[in-house]
Amino acid sequence: MTKIIIDNLSLKFRIYHEGATSTKEYFANVFRRKKRETFSDFWALQRVSFSLKDGERVGIIGRNGAGKSTLLKTLCRIYEPTSGKVSVNGRIAPLLEIGAGFHPEFTGRENIYFNGTILGYSKRQLGEIEQEVIKFAELEEFIDTPVKYYSTGMYMRLAFSLATTIHPDILVLDELFAGGDAAFVKRGKERMYSMIDRASVMILVSHDQTLLRSLCERFIWLDHGKVVADGDVTVLDQYVAS
Amino acid sequence: MSDKKTLGYLSELYEFRNVLQQLVRQQLILRYRRTAFGYLWTLFNPLLMMSVTAIVFSTIFKMDLKTYAIFLFSGMIPFTYFSTSVTQSGQSLIMNEGLIKKIYIPRLHFPLGVSLALLIDSALTALALFLIILVIGGKLTFALFFIPIAYILLFLFSFGIALVMAISTVYFRDLQHVVGILMQALLFLTPVFYKPESMEGKVGWLIALNPLTQFVELFRAPIYQGVLPAIAVVLQAALLSILSLSAGLWFFRKHEHRIAFRL
Repeated sequence: MTKIIIDNLSLKFRIYHEGATSTKEYFANVFRRKKRETFSDFWALQRVSFSLKDGERVGIIGRNGAGKSTLLKTLCRIYEPTSGKVSVNGRIAPLLEIGAGFHPEFTGRENIYFNGTILGYSKRQLGEIEQEVIKFAELEEFIDTPVKYYSTGMYMRLAFSLATTIHPDILVLDELFAGGDAAFVKRGKERMYSMIDRASVMILVSHDQTLLRSLCERFIWLDHGKVVADGDVTVLDQYVAS
Repeated sequence: MSDKKTLGYLSELYEFRNVLQQLVRQQLILRYRRTAFGYLWTLFNPLLMMSVTAIVFSTIFKMDLKTYAIFLFSGMIPFTYFSTSVTQSGQSLIMNEGLIKKIYIPRLHFPLGVSLALLIDSALTALALFLIILVIGGKLTFALFFIPIAYILLFLFSFGIALVMAISTVYFRDLQHVVGILMQALLFLTPVFYKPESMEGKVGWLIALNPLTQFVELFRAPIYQGVLPAIAVVLQAALLSILSLSAGLWFFRKHEHRIAFRL
C-alpha cells in the first residue's frame, strides 16, 4: 500500500533581509518609486518526486542546506508547497525536538497531556500511556512539579519518554536523539528502535552513516533542493564518495 | 469546490477539538497559577479598577455613585472583552511560534483558544460582579436572559477582528504596541464612561460610527435599564458581527498557510 506520494514538489522560501519588515518600512516602501528589495527568493525544494510504500525505511541524505529538514516539514504540513502535491495516507507525526511543545509553567503531567493531545491522542489513550511515560522517564517524584524547575536531564528524559511512547503510522525523525546519563542513553536507544519497528513507514534525516546503514534500506540524496539519486545503499556509498 | 474546501476546513477544526480544549485550559491555568489568590483575581482586578473609576467619574458627572457603578459595569464588561480579545488573540500566533514551526495544528485554534478562554473569564467576572451590583441596587429582570445572546454577538464581532490582528501581527510586529494605544483611544470613543447622548456635537459622529457603541448598548439595556435592547440595535450588532467574522475568516484563510515562513 502506498503511504506517501510526492509529486513534483517545489517550495520557495522568501529570505528577508534585516529581520522583519516593520510597519514604518512597509509604508515607506509604498511611497518609494524604486522599491528597495527587502527579500530574495530561494528554492528550497525543486521538482521533488517520489513515493513511499508500507514497510519502507528511508534515509534522506545530503549536505547542510540541501533541503532535508524542509522536506520533512513539508511532509508534516508545516510548510505548504509552492507547487506540486504531497499526499499522505496515515497518521504522520514528527518526533518533537526535545520538549518543543513543553510549557515551562506546566507540570510534567500537564505537559504530557498537552503534548499528547497535540500529537493526536485522546484523553483516554493518554490516561493509558501516562504511567508508562512517567516510569520510563523516572520522574515519579517530580511529575507534578512545573517543568521549569526540572534539571536539563529530567527535562530531556520526559520529552524523550513522551515522544517515544507515541506510535505514529509514519514516523519522521530529524536526527536521532537520546540525552541523559549513559544508562538512559542505552535504554533510550532500545526504545527508539522498538518505536521504529512499530511504525509502518520511517523517514530519517541524519548525517550518521552507521545509523543510516543499520536503519534504512532506501536512500534519497538531496542537493540544492533536488533529488540527485534515489535507491538502495549504493546511493549512500556514492554520496559518501562525492 | 469552495464549499467542499470549507467543509474540509471545518471538519479538520473539529478533528483537532481536543487541542483547542487544551489551549483554552492552558490559557486559564497559566493566568492564575502561583498567585496567592488564584482565580479570585478574575474578580478583584476589575472590581478594584471599576471602583476607582466609578468614584472618579461619578464625581465628575455629578451622578449617584451606586447608579453610576451599575452604568459603568454594564459598559466595561463588553469593552474589556473586546479589547483583551483583540489584543491577546492578536499575539497568539507569535506566542506559539515554537509549536507552529514544529507540528501541524489548524492555525485558527490559536486565536480561537485565546478568545474562548477570555470569554469564559469575562462571563465569570460579569457574574461575580453582577452579584455585587445586585447588593448595591441592581435590578433583576427577565431582560437579563438576553445577556448570553449579547455575548455571542460580541464574541463573533471581536473574533473576526482578532483574526485579522493575529495574521497582521506576524507581518508587522509593531502592531502589538500600536493596538494598545488604539484601544486606549477607542475606550474614550465608546460610551463606556458616559452616555452616548452626552457626547453629541463635535465628536458625536465618531461615537455613532463606532461599532462598539452598539455592543455596549446590548449589555447596557438589560443590565442598567432592565429592558431588552432595541431591535434596530440588535440587528445592527448582528450585521456587524457577521461582517467582521466573514472578513476575518476570509483574511485568515488567505494568509494562514504562509505564516510558517514568516514566524
